[in-house]
Parts: sequence; structure tokens; C-alpha cells
Amino acid sequence: MLRILAVVLLVAAPAEAQTTDDTLLSGTWDQIVAEAEGGTVNWFMWGGSDQINRYVSDHVAKRLLADYGITLNRIGVADAVEVVNMVLAEKEAGIDTGGAVDLIWINGENFRSMRQADLAFCGYTGVLPNNVLVNWENPAIANDFGVPVDGCEVPWNTVQFGFAHDSATLPEPPRSMAELLVWIKANPGRFTYPAPPDFTGSAFVRHVFIHAAGGPENLLGPFDQSKYDEVAAKTWTILNEIEPFLWREGRTYPTTLVQMNELFANGEVAFTFNYDPSQFGLAVDAGIFPPDTRSFGLSDGTLGNTNYTLIPFNATNKAAAMVLQNLLLSPEEQLEKAKPEVWGAAPAIDILRTSAEVQAAFAALPKHPSVVAASELAAFALPELQADWLTAIEAGWRAEIGR
Amino acid sequence: MKRDVLSALARLALALFLLMPLIPLAIWSVAHGWRFPALLPSELSLAAWSYALSPVSGVVGSLGLTFFIAAVTSVIATALAYPAGRALGRLRFPGRSVVLVLVLAPAVLPAIAVALGLQGLFLRMGWTGTIWGVVLAHLIPALPYPTLVLTAVFARFDPHHEDQARCLGARPLQVLLHVTLPAVLPGLRTGAVLAFLISWSQYLLTLSIGGGKVQTLPLLLFTFATSGRNDLTGAVAMIYVLPALAFMALLLRQRSKTAPLPNRTDR
Repeated sequence: MLRILAVVLLVAAPAEAQTTDDTLLSGTWDQIVAEAEGGTVNWFMWGGSDQINRYVSDHVAKRLLADYGITLNRIGVADAVEVVNMVLAEKEAGIDTGGAVDLIWINGENFRSMRQADLAFCGYTGVLPNNVLVNWENPAIANDFGVPVDGCEVPWNTVQFGFAHDSATLPEPPRSMAELLVWIKANPGRFTYPAPPDFTGSAFVRHVFIHAAGGPENLLGPFDQSKYDEVAAKTWTILNEIEPFLWREGRTYPTTLVQMNELFANGEVAFTFNYDPSQFGLAVDAGIFPPDTRSFGLSDGTLGNTNYTLIPFNATNKAAAMVLQNLLLSPEEQLEKAKPEVWGAAPAIDILRTSAEVQAAFAALPKHPSVVAASELAAFALPELQADWLTAIEAGWRAEIGR
Repeated sequence: MKRDVLSALARLALALFLLMPLIPLAIWSVAHGWRFPALLPSELSLAAWSYALSPVSGVVGSLGLTFFIAAVTSVIATALAYPAGRALGRLRFPGRSVVLVLVLAPAVLPAIAVALGLQGLFLRMGWTGTIWGVVLAHLIPALPYPTLVLTAVFARFDPHHEDQARCLGARPLQVLLHVTLPAVLPGLRTGAVLAFLISWSQYLLTLSIGGGKVQTLPLLLFTFATSGRNDLTGAVAMIYVLPALAFMALLLRQRSKTAPLPNRTDR
């Protein structure tokens, strides 16, 4: 009896899911909000910051419940890749509906994995009313590390790579990659970077790569082997030259950003860096970094990217997840998380498309002394390279430097 | 007299050995700004504790959940281990050593292999993301411990005591309650505590079978430990470790109070 019931359910479920997905893609927003009411969103996200956790579990969850009757269940994970594997395992087990994950905080390689394995729910972003605030003309929003977003995820924050130093011990840091390379050789043992494939270490190596290429112009677009070979040779020469001047004579590298942050906090190295400079402010507030920590960008530019929220193809509660995504995109929530005491994350919406009051509120936001202003960084922004370049550079680093 | 002093010293050394790793964790949990080369934190703060104990962090709910899962796992594992231990300890049957090896296997196999294999199976059965699925998964590494303890206990248990009680007119239930159970109680208790601690410390199985929805304390702890938040890690670790230590202390006290096992009579 049970077996028959199970077979009936298995056969019936995908058909039902299909019609629901169609309503979500073609229905009106009011229909979606009505369907979402009373539901629960299981939002899987990196859970290592108490401030971000508090913003989501306290502020966002309360608004979602009060305004839409939706319960938000934040599930903290150590790395988004765990969630990607979870959805992948569900797909392999044939679970096409009723999956455990409704929403993921994601970008970069994890997004690429989800696209390649066809794990993302796509084509719905135009239905969200706040989608009009997103500037999809901006290639840095429309592409996630070179992979076209294609309506498969919704931007949440924009970030741009920044460097941090302790102004009490190093008042005047080098301001360009060329100056930094000179500084490293003049100050043995005071610099290091996390070994790729660490996310942040890999981004540092790309800055050197772009410096070796004389700018990003020739590196944009699809992977080009001959171009790569030429620039990579120069890059490995630079990195091998500085290696003896690195922390512990470059015999070893930190394997994670957390390890490098610890070296910086303890004064062993003079710099740390982060793809999200608001993390410097959070670390100072948490007592991890010295209070005189200041941050800066490079005059030859630093890489920028966008992070997103994504609904898996088999999410149980797609409608409620969409309502949450729309709430996160709203001018009020983009402003709330931009406050330095809340999080300090730069908005993913185009501020110029919001009301005059919201624009004024953004302009009036106090600045955290440890966090370099997003506008200051944005003046020298580098576009991210496409994913194939990243993979090639990471593999090259392992072969040439990290032997 | 001299033996008492020595035994007290040994206990003290054991206690210190168990508590030493907790000292830096305890300091971290109230530290705000503790950087090299400072010996002690520059400022003290209860921020990490107030976050850990607030409903936002989910730590308190997670503590209850972890305790529930460990307690249920422990009870089921011990109940299953009782007949298994009795059979393995008392009977000599062909293939006994094969059974023993199979019982031991989950304790020897790498956890990741078990977790990956189980996840696919549990997904198909629809048991992932449920508390009972996690309990079932925890039973696999937990079962060998009470089984082995009870095997050893029953190997030293003399069934003539039971025969004697039966001869005197005791019914099977009376024999169990008044003769067998009291004799093997220390073994049952040790096995139950070991199964509890095995479940209490599971990370990989809970993550893969719980699908993130069953958030036990090790999962929360790992999230903070990998993001460099030593203050939060310290506070959550204290909340995680103290119940386990209290449980062990309780066990040691009870053990020293109970009478030794009845010795097997010479035949």
C-alpha cells in the first residue's frame, strides 16, 4: 500500500511542480505574494559573522513575517559549497521537488557549478517588482565572474577588493601594485597571501596577473591560451621574485583568509586584504583587528564583484523565496544593511533609481573609519575575469609557485 | 594513606588534563581584542555570551536538540547492544569473530565514507533533514561501543546466578530486574554514556543527513571556528563542552560507588 502511494506521489509531484513554476514565471506579483503567505523560507548562508546573522535573523525575519506572513529560517553554513553539494545530491537522488534548500547566498565558482549541473531556478527575476532598481546593463551585475546571470539569481551586495593596514605601525602604505611589490622586497617577512584556490588569495594573484599584463583590457572575454601563456610567464616571475621576501621566506603560505587575518591581527604581517572591505570594520568592532586599522584600494585598480541569492530548481517554497529576494532588493533593506553598525555592505541596486529621500539617506550614511569608501574604490575598478581564466591561473599557481 | 595521596594526585592530574584546553576558550569567550603579544585580553566583554545566549544565534535551541538526539541515540543503542552483547559474550557460535568484526566496523571505517554512502540512501528514503534520520545515522557509529562493553561484561557474567533465582521460583521478569540487570548495570551505564558522547560529537553525519535543517551544536561551532571568531567560538565551545564534561564526571562518580561485578565462579 505504502509503496503504491509512494509511486503515485513520485509520478504526481513533478507535474504539479511544473504548473507551480509556470505560475511563478508568468503570474502577477500579487498571485505570488498570495501563494507565498504562511510559507517558510530555508535560507542557507555563510554564518560566520554575528552581525550579518543578527541582521538576517532579527531584522529581515521580522519584516518578512510582519509584512508577508512568511517565516524565515536562516541556516548558517561554513561554506556555500556545502549547500551546492546538498542540492546536487538531491538531484542525483531524483528529488526534483520538495528540496531542503529554498535560497542560497552565492556567487562565483559555486554559481558556475549550479549552472553547469542545472541546479538553479531561472527566468523569474523580471517578475520581482524591485528588479527595476537593478542596472542589468552593468556587466559586473549581469555576469557573475564572467558567467551570465540569465535570470537565475538576484544581486544582493556589491563588493570591491581592498587592502588593510595598521596605521599605528604603518602610516603610509604603498598605493599601487608596483609600489607594493617594491615594499615587499624592502620589508622581508612582512607580507603574505593565502594560497589559491583560497577565494581571496586567488583574487590577489589575479591582481598581480593583471598588473603583469599591463591592465585588464587584453584579458576580458573568453580564455585565450597564447595570451595566458605570455602573461602567466611574467606573473610567475614576479611571484617567484618576491617569494623569499614573504612571511617565513615564502616556504609556506596561509591556506585560508582566516589564517592571514590572524597573522595581521597579531602584527606578524603588515597587510591583509578582503573582497569585502566592510569585513575590516566588522573585525575591528569585534576586537579582532587593531583599532587603527585603515583600508585602501590600489591606484591601478582593484577587482569588483557582486554576490547574489539563488533559488534551487527543487526548492519547496519558491514563491516565498522570491518574496524574500524582492524584500532584500528594496531600497529600505539595501539601505539598512549599508549602515556600518549593521553590516556596511554596498548596495546592489542603482541608487540613482531610488527616491530622493533614499538617495539622501545613502549619502548621509556614516563611514566606518576602517572601511575605505565604496566610491573611492569604485573610481579605480577592475572587471573580474571569466571563470576559465580563474581556473587556469589557479592551476598555474599550484604548478609554478605552490610546488 | 600514601595510596590515597597518590590517587588524589592522579585524579587532580586527570582533571587538569581535561580542563586545560578549556582555559583559553573560557578567556576567549570574554575577550575583546586579544592580540599577540598580550598575555591577557586588553578588554573584557560579554558580547559573545550575549550573542550565544540570544534567540538569534539559535545556540540554546541547538543545545536542547543536540541533547535530545544524543539521549535517544544512547537509549536505542544500549537497548540494541544488550541482547547483542549477551549473545557475543556468552555464546560460542560459528562466525562469532566475523560478527565481532562487523560490529566494530563502523568505529573503524572513515566517517566520510559512511556519510557519503548513507546520504544517497537516506535521500531516496526521504529521511534526510529529519531528527529521526539523524538519530538513525548516529546509531551507526554509536552502536559498537555499548555492544563491546556489554560483550565484555557478559563474558564475566555467571548465568548460574539466573538459574539459581529461577530455581527459587523467580519469573523471567523478576530474574531480569533483580539478578541480571543489577549485575550488568555498570556496563550498561558505561555503554550508554559512550554512545551519548559519540552522538554528541558527530559533525559530518549530522551535516549530510540533517541537510542543514538539523542544526546540532558542532555545526554551529564549526561555522564560527572557520570564520576566525575566537570569541564566539569560545562561548559556543563552552556551552558545547560543559554538559559533556558534567556527564563524564557523573559517570566517574557513579562508577566508583557501584560494587564490582560478581566474579565468575570457578568450574
